[in-house]
Amino acid sequence: MDGVPIAAERLPSRWRLMPERGTLSLFELVLALLCVVLAVLGLSQNVQDLLIQTFLWAGLALAWNVAGGYAGLISFGHAAFFGVGAYTSTILLVNYGLTPWIGLWVGGLLAAVVAGMLTLICARLRGPFFILSTLAVAEVFRIAALNWASLTGGAEGFAILPTPSVVRMVFVSKMTYATLFLGYLVAVYIITKILEGSRYGLQLFAVRDDEDAASAAGINPLLARTGAMCLSAFLTAIGGSLFAQYFLFLDPTHVFSPELSFQFALLPALGGIGTAIGPVLGAFVITPLSEMLRSYFGGSAAGLHLAIYGTVLVIAMLYFPGGIAAALRRLAGGHGKGES
Amino acid sequence: MTTLLEVRDLTRAFGALRALAGVSFSVREGELLGLIGPNGAGKSTLYNLIAGALAPTSGEIRFKGTSVAGWKPYHAARAGVARTFQIPKPYRHLSVIENVALSALQHDRTVKAARASAQAVLAEVGLAAYAEAPVSILTVGLLKRLEVARALALRPSLVLFDEIVAGLTPSEVKGMTTLVASLSARGITVIWVEHVLYAIMTTAPRIMVLHRGDIIADGAPEKLAKDSAVIKAYLGEEMSLA
Repeated sequence: MDGVPIAAERLPSRWRLMPERGTLSLFELVLALLCVVLAVLGLSQNVQDLLIQTFLWAGLALAWNVAGGYAGLISFGHAAFFGVGAYTSTILLVNYGLTPWIGLWVGGLLAAVVAGMLTLICARLRGPFFILSTLAVAEVFRIAALNWASLTGGAEGFAILPTPSVVRMVFVSKMTYATLFLGYLVAVYIITKILEGSRYGLQLFAVRDDEDAASAAGINPLLARTGAMCLSAFLTAIGGSLFAQYFLFLDPTHVFSPELSFQFALLPALGGIGTAIGPVLGAFVITPLSEMLRSYFGGSAAGLHLAIYGTVLVIAMLYFPGGIAAALRRLAGGHGKGES
Repeated sequence: MTTLLEVRDLTRAFGALRALAGVSFSVREGELLGLIGPNGAGKSTLYNLIAGALAPTSGEIRFKGTSVAGWKPYHAARAGVARTFQIPKPYRHLSVIENVALSALQHDRTVKAARASAQAVLAEVGLAAYAEAPVSILTVGLLKRLEVARALALRPSLVLFDEIVAGLTPSEVKGMTTLVASLSARGITVIWVEHVLYAIMTTAPRIMVLHRGDIIADGAPEKLAKDSAVIKAYLGEEMSLA
């Protein structure tokens, strides 16, 4: 392969079969169509509940991927942004009667400001040190939320009255939630696709791959990283607000938990980090799998479902280091190199 | 011709070690200046100071008449100072053309325009056939060309080349020296660090020799090849440029 020009390999075709950076493929369109059908089909309550969670997780995994995959800012602290989003819109709704349709944007902006400050300070740290600093920041938020009971309700949690109303973004029908959450997923996906084909997206890849070279090409690495982290936090916080509107109950030990942060990072890692389709595939495989394992084994032998879940993850990481997205590309006959 | 780069009393210390000890020189617009010297002479430190990767301990760097000492690499790039890295630093998840387009984006507003500019630069350095290839398939020689392409795509007024022909075959060296000479002819100022002496001594009309952080010689290659201080510090023996 060495030294052989492969320029002619990419045939000009309007529609590509498999996902590729910057352009839409048939695979993505079919998947989107399938999601729409599933969302409006009126399946059983359990299946609809699974769909809602899967869509939410896919959106959140994509949001994490903007920082972790595209900018190389591996974060184990995205629960902080998720929690800020969830609590902001909920406090605004319950205490001030502000509709979540507006509150979620406020939460998003607040999370973006937090992310901006965090990155300006912590992105000077490298590798594991940055990761640890994000973990620490999320812990600070968890402890603050637990102790600032007058604002957050503390350990007792914070509930939204389950009175259905469009203005309050509380619905009876799970189908409405499924559609809303699919909308969130599609929006984050479109933003991701635009980003990866854009000037700014390319600059992020460059900073991620080699900071010195990017800097010598006129890119300010700190600014580029900060922007990515802000966008990622903003999108994560929106997901947090939607989560609050579906479950109608917030508890700091869950909403700001490290487990949540790890899950945000795990789904893209499994699906294919740094690609748009990867985090979605990761969420589509892992969310139903973990839910099914919980319902089959959760009752009979406590902890067995987690053991199986963990084993599946380890095997997947060993045999699909590039994630599901890379495995699919190999199946489709692509060489898979040169894709990020 | 006017002075493009002026360096005065430039010093950079790493703890007790003075990698550069009060260096002064200037480079005129369109000049091709070769920079040689043994390992540890301070060549890389000098490059890092000019390109903004390091801040000087003391001294002055003036580019186009403005004091720029202590600027950041991206300031240097935006102002028209491009550099290559001795050990190639490609963006390894991007294709060859995207690697170059990133530099072109400093001038082109859209990714599409930058790709078109990048394609032209790739043709110039002989990488056109690899445009869509992942950088992982490039050999060392091709990676060096990619470094040159990225630097040129910035449309610089000053280029700092760092060992761009080391490890290349004789015919590749010939192609690279021809390219460097043509840049100078186009009015681009070039400073070129190289250990492949026959290449640099037969291409650059002016050579500067750095030794232990000091400039020990500065002049035409024919003169330096017989200079006893240069022979002692670096060449080892008198050099024939025939």
